[in-house]
Formats: sequence, C-alpha cells, structure tokens
Amino acid sequence: MIHTVKRYWRLYKVLIAQFFKVVLQSKVDFLMGLFGFFLSQFMGIAFLYLVFEQIPSLQGWTLDQLIFIYGFAQIPRGIDHLFTDNIWLVAWRLVLNGNFDRYMLRPMNIFFQVISEKLQPDALGELLVGSILVIRCMMKGIVVADGVHIALFFVSIFAGAVIYTAIKLFFASLAFWLKTSGPFLQVAYEMANFAKYPTEIYAKGIRFIITWIIPFAFVAYLPASYFLGVDGPFGTGGSGGVVAIECIIAAVFWFVAYALFQKGTSIYESAGN
Amino acid sequence: MKKKLRIYFPFASNELKRQMAYKGAFYLFIFISLFSSFIQYFLWMAIYGSSGNGILGNLTRNEMIVYVFMTYVTSSMVMITISDWVSMDVVEGMIAMNLIKPIDYRISLISRAMGQAVYRFLVPGIFIWIGLEIYKVKTLGMQVTGIGSILLYLLSCIMSFLICVLFDFCFGMVAFFTTYIFGMLMAKEALISFLTGQLIPLSFFPGVVQKVFDFLPFSSMVYTPVMIYLGKYNSSELCFVLARQAAWVVILYVLGSIIWKQVTKRLVVLGG
Repeated sequence: MIHTVKRYWRLYKVLIAQFFKVVLQSKVDFLMGLFGFFLSQFMGIAFLYLVFEQIPSLQGWTLDQLIFIYGFAQIPRGIDHLFTDNIWLVAWRLVLNGNFDRYMLRPMNIFFQVISEKLQPDALGELLVGSILVIRCMMKGIVVADGVHIALFFVSIFAGAVIYTAIKLFFASLAFWLKTSGPFLQVAYEMANFAKYPTEIYAKGIRFIITWIIPFAFVAYLPASYFLGVDGPFGTGGSGGVVAIECIIAAVFWFVAYALFQKGTSIYESAGN
Repeated sequence: MKKKLRIYFPFASNELKRQMAYKGAFYLFIFISLFSSFIQYFLWMAIYGSSGNGILGNLTRNEMIVYVFMTYVTSSMVMITISDWVSMDVVEGMIAMNLIKPIDYRISLISRAMGQAVYRFLVPGIFIWIGLEIYKVKTLGMQVTGIGSILLYLLSCIMSFLICVLFDFCFGMVAFFTTYIFGMLMAKEALISFLTGQLIPLSFFPGVVQKVFDFLPFSSMVYTPVMIYLGKYNSSELCFVLARQAAWVVILYVLGSIIWKQVTKRLVVLGG
C-alpha cells in the first residue's frame, strides 16, 4: 500500500515538473490566460458594487457577505480546475477518437492517469481572486475565524473540490456509452454559476436542483453562509452541520461517479478496427 | 454592386448552412447562455425586492426583465466573433490563399458573420423575443412594443452588427503578432460584457463613467438598440444615438483598413 502511494507520488512529481517547464516556456501565454480569468472574475465583483450603490442589502445580505460567498465559491472551483481539467477531454474526444486506449494499456490507475496528464494554469486566476476576496473579508472581520471554523474551512474547500470533480467525472463517464458527453458536462458545469449568489433568490425548482441534484449550493453558498455565521436554510448555521452534509454529499457523489467511470472503462471499446 | 453581391453572398449562405449542420451544439449553447439570463433575472428580482425604490438606474422592474432578455437576444444576434476566424487563418497559413484571391478578405469575413447573425436571429432570437412579448403582455400587463420601435430597433441592430464585426476585425489583427489569443479573447469578452451593458445596464454607472462610455464604441453595440426597443429615447436623442452608431461604423471601417494595410505589409507566411 505504502509502496503504491510512494510510486504514484513520484510519478506525479515528475508530471508537475513538466507542468512548470511548460509554464516557463510560454510565460506570456500563461500571464494572458491568468489575466483573462482575473478580469472576468473582477467584473462579477464590479457588478455587485454597482448594484449596491442602489440598495443597502440584498434580501438581508450585505455587500461584503456577498463578496465573501462569491470569492469562496472560486476556491473549490479553482482547485478542481487546476488538477482535473483533463476530464473535459474524456467527455469531448478521448473516447470518441479512441485515444483513451493509451490509459488502458498502462499498469496504473486509469483515473490517476487521466488527471495527472495535465495541470491547468489558468485556474490560478480563480484561486488568486478567491483567496484575495476571502482574505479581504477575514481582515474586515465579517467571517467567523475561530479554530473550528478555520479547520472546517479547509475541510469544506476539499469536499467542495471533490464534489466538482465527481460531477465532472460522472458526466464525462457518460461518454463511454454516448461516445461524446461534452454537451451534458458543460450544462452541468455551468449550473455552478447559480451558486455564486444566495440560492434563496431563485425559484423553488432551481433551488432544489442546485441543492440536491447537482449540489453546487453545497460547494459555495451553503458552507459560505456558515463561515459568515449566518443561519442557513437548514438552521445549521451555528453548528457546522452544513459542512458535515457537504462531506457526505462529496463522498456519495464521488463513489457513484467513480463506480460509473470504472463501469465505463470496463465496457470501453476502441474506435476503428 | 450586383456583382459584389454575387461574389460575397455565398460566404453568408455557406455559413448559414454550416450553422444548420451543427444544430445539437448550438441548441446547447442557447441553453447555457439562457442560464445566465435566468440568473440575472432572479438576481434583479431580488435586487428590486430589496430596494424601497421602484426604479433603479432609470429602469422599472418590468423594464429590467425586458432589458435582461432583449440584451440576450440582441447580443446573440449582433456579437459575432470573427477574430478567431482571422487567428485560425493566420495560424494555419490560410490567410495567404485569401490574399491572392480577388476578393476583399474583410468583406468575405463580414459576409460569413452575416450568415451566422441571420441564423442566430432565426433560431434562438425570434423565439425568445416572441416568448418575451407574450410574457410581457399576459403577465406583466405591459403594452406590445409598437411596430415603429421594432423597425428602429432592427435598424439599430444592423449597425450594431457592423460595429461589432468591424471592431472584432481590428482586434483579430492581434493574431498577426501572437499565436495564442485565448487569454486575450477571455479578457476581451469579460471587458465587452461589461462595457456593452450586457452585465448591467450602463445607466447604473456613475455619471462621469457614463460620459466616458459615450465616447467608446461599446455602448453602441448592445445598449443602444435595447434602449431603443424599450422606448427610452425621445426623437432628438434617437437621431443622435443612431447617428453615433453610423459614425462608429465609418470610423471602425477606416481604422480597420489602415491596420490591415500595415499588417499585410509585414506578413510572413510559412510554407508554400
């Protein structure tokens, strides 16, 4: 067991070293991609500022609280984006054009191979914006920052990234049956944008979907409201129970998605003859 | 004129046919971009609900609903990206073929874009538009938009389309200097969604910033036609904004020609 972990870790280090070489090789491209992401996040914040020129609070939320939710939402998204971006290729074309073969042939975990093939530097834009906004809110003192909350903060970010990855993996795995599942993955992924704002503003149906079916509310808005010390819709605001539910959801979704992925690889047939 | 039409019409009709061929992907993108319209819709409803004031940024709650969805219809119709065609042609060296043919490269691109615009008008645009009108009358109790406003709106949209593609042509010239324009495209899209009023009506900006926007082409791209549709301009303002759009068409056309001349002088195409 320990031996296996060591081996995978060594392989991953080699791959990360490759990634840094790529970044250094094309510094301008890297900076431009980063700048692009940075700018689009910044516009979302500017929107909130302009709106709050007109209103004192949005259904009881202050500007700073909304900025925290917005920023917090970026961190698990950025982590997932950084490490597992290659899943998109499985959905769009690796299964379709038969390039998935190469993962089947190597004596390594297939999922590990898929995600370790690429790190997505653009994700640093999301992580950077998210971190800046969260730190800013901490310095303003609107976030509860005792030991328990800080520990759960990291737990929640991790669980949130797992939920992202699980949703991506689930929809990408459909490609084993449909040949390409990119469109479905894209629709599911875009749902995450709903959870950048308090979900009470949406109609009941939408709220139900993003809380329980494609549970992005548990990645962003619900844990964020806990860290703000605001009582969430489950009345668990003070207790951290929402992070516990988030972890359970992350575990369940991960196991379902991974099982589907393994089932998919077992029925995978290469393209061509 | 007739000859020109005969030359460039196939560019438009081919693009229209091409778009028809990839319906699946296209419906999906409609669906996804409607997501963001609905997020905006709910967000604005909450914002109006939290405000004691019925009018924000000169728009009533009902006008804001029309604004959100008409902005979507308008921008999907007029904001055609031609810069990635330019960049693809440059990267693949196809640009050389386009230079030796007896056609104007820019007009051929604009014709292609026009085919796409027609398609987008037919497929999502008109249905959402009609749906919105029905919703407006049945649920919001507003008047149907008059035929005069619709005609002026369409006239303004045509100029918006020209402003967008002519601007994007200038932007696409960047492709001659760098092969990686993905990051720039993202930055451009983010900035444009802000400056055109797609994200938030320009009337929400502080007065000084609005003055600056008056001197930029972006406000003429989406904001102007939607405001015409909402009937927000009196007749003298109407003449002014339409004239301003026409002026931008001319300016960007001339600017594009100048940049194009400069750029093709230093063009190096690899391979035979």
